[in-house]
Amino acid sequence: MGRGLWHRGIVSSSNPVQSAVEPLEKLQESSSDAITEQMAKSLKYPDFFKVAELFTVEDLFNARVHLGHREGSLNDHMSQFIFGSRLSHLIFDLDQTATLLREALNFTAHIAFRGGIILFVGRIPQHQVMIENTAKECGEYAHTRYWQGGVLTNSTIQFGSVIRLPDLIIFLHTMNNVIYEHTAIRDAAKMLIPTVGIVDTNCNPNLITYPVPGNDDSAASISLFCNLFKAAILRGKEKRKELLGVH
Amino acid sequence: ATLTMAAVRAQTKFLSTNVLIKPFFSRFCASGSGQEAGEGASQVKKVNQESGQDGSQIKKVEPGGFAKSFIKYTQSSSSKVSEEAPKPSRTFSSLLRNSKLIQLGDPEGKVVEGTVFHVVENDLYIDFGSKFYCVCHRPQRNAQSYVRGARVRLRLHELELSTRFLGSSTDMTLLEADATLLGLIHPPKKTESAKQ
Repeated sequence: MGRGLWHRGIVSSSNPVQSAVEPLEKLQESSSDAITEQMAKSLKYPDFFKVAELFTVEDLFNARVHLGHREGSLNDHMSQFIFGSRLSHLIFDLDQTATLLREALNFTAHIAFRGGIILFVGRIPQHQVMIENTAKECGEYAHTRYWQGGVLTNSTIQFGSVIRLPDLIIFLHTMNNVIYEHTAIRDAAKMLIPTVGIVDTNCNPNLITYPVPGNDDSAASISLFCNLFKAAILRGKEKRKELLGVH
Repeated sequence: ATLTMAAVRAQTKFLSTNVLIKPFFSRFCASGSGQEAGEGASQVKKVNQESGQDGSQIKKVEPGGFAKSFIKYTQSSSSKVSEEAPKPSRTFSSLLRNSKLIQLGDPEGKVVEGTVFHVVENDLYIDFGSKFYCVCHRPQRNAQSYVRGARVRLRLHELELSTRFLGSSTDMTLLEADATLLGLIHPPKKTESAKQ
């Protein structure tokens, strides 16, 4: 495990064990107090939605998630997630990626469970349609076009009314093009919106709440990440309907 | 009268020889269904049931040269696959160690197979299993076969076209690989609807 993981205080086994708490039962009356109580109870489990079952390290490997850019374009903050380099081509440590991805999927599922708005963001044209379709299929939102400056920070004036901002932003690409970072990363941090992001070797993971180190340039890897996030969101929504009786 | 007697004597001689020949065949013929053969088989069975140590006494029919090679080459095809390719354990380190990327080594000059996944006029976007795809110009020979789904052969030069330019702090990358198109392996497989 890299230095970075110990600094974050993450200790997570490969086989998450459920604590000895009684499983949540379906609510009889849907009062707001009972709902908040159920939501609080769901936090006692390390992996309430069993997102660890959604993928294996081999799935990540086959989707080329471990491939990084060259050593010359490495961002220093990403060196903690690197396994090594093969003839100057960097390789991600998929064991770290798997741990961080499980954390990110777990968080996403909890946000969906609580009825939060999730926004998918990605600025690479080849994967635009894939990201938009993913958002459509899980009933959430996507923004893969030019990002106007004040979408989060100046929303009231820009849209002309009081706006409910997203509760989670998932970045399939953290970079705008090769050089600049996406504005939404900084703006989400300003507006206290948690973010999940796929960070490649040339990206800066600093402002992202749940960075997932991995390849963001291959269609195979982006397709896998889209499917995993969609599955986690759908699981959260399913449990929401089942346990809280709310849509 | 003498003729008829001679004929009868000849017949009886013939008959007697016939009778002699019969038991000869039934005893030594493998597929003999006569009483003796049946008895022999039951005797063999008894011996087998009592003890397996007398196997040397029981003469097993050895397969001939052709039969041996037939068995070897039909049975080994199923067992060879599991023997030859040892299943690597599923840890990331072992997956990487046995991966094509490591086997490739220096990409310069290596010949790989790729699939055309996108076509823009005369430019072919080819994916060969690496992080990036490569873009090659459509060749003039057999040009109509280079469509989406075609399997092609490439000679690699770079896995990623990125280099440090003067005055910059990080590499500038094109987000593409560099390869030369060698030729077509096979055109895309037609679907059933296309056939109809």
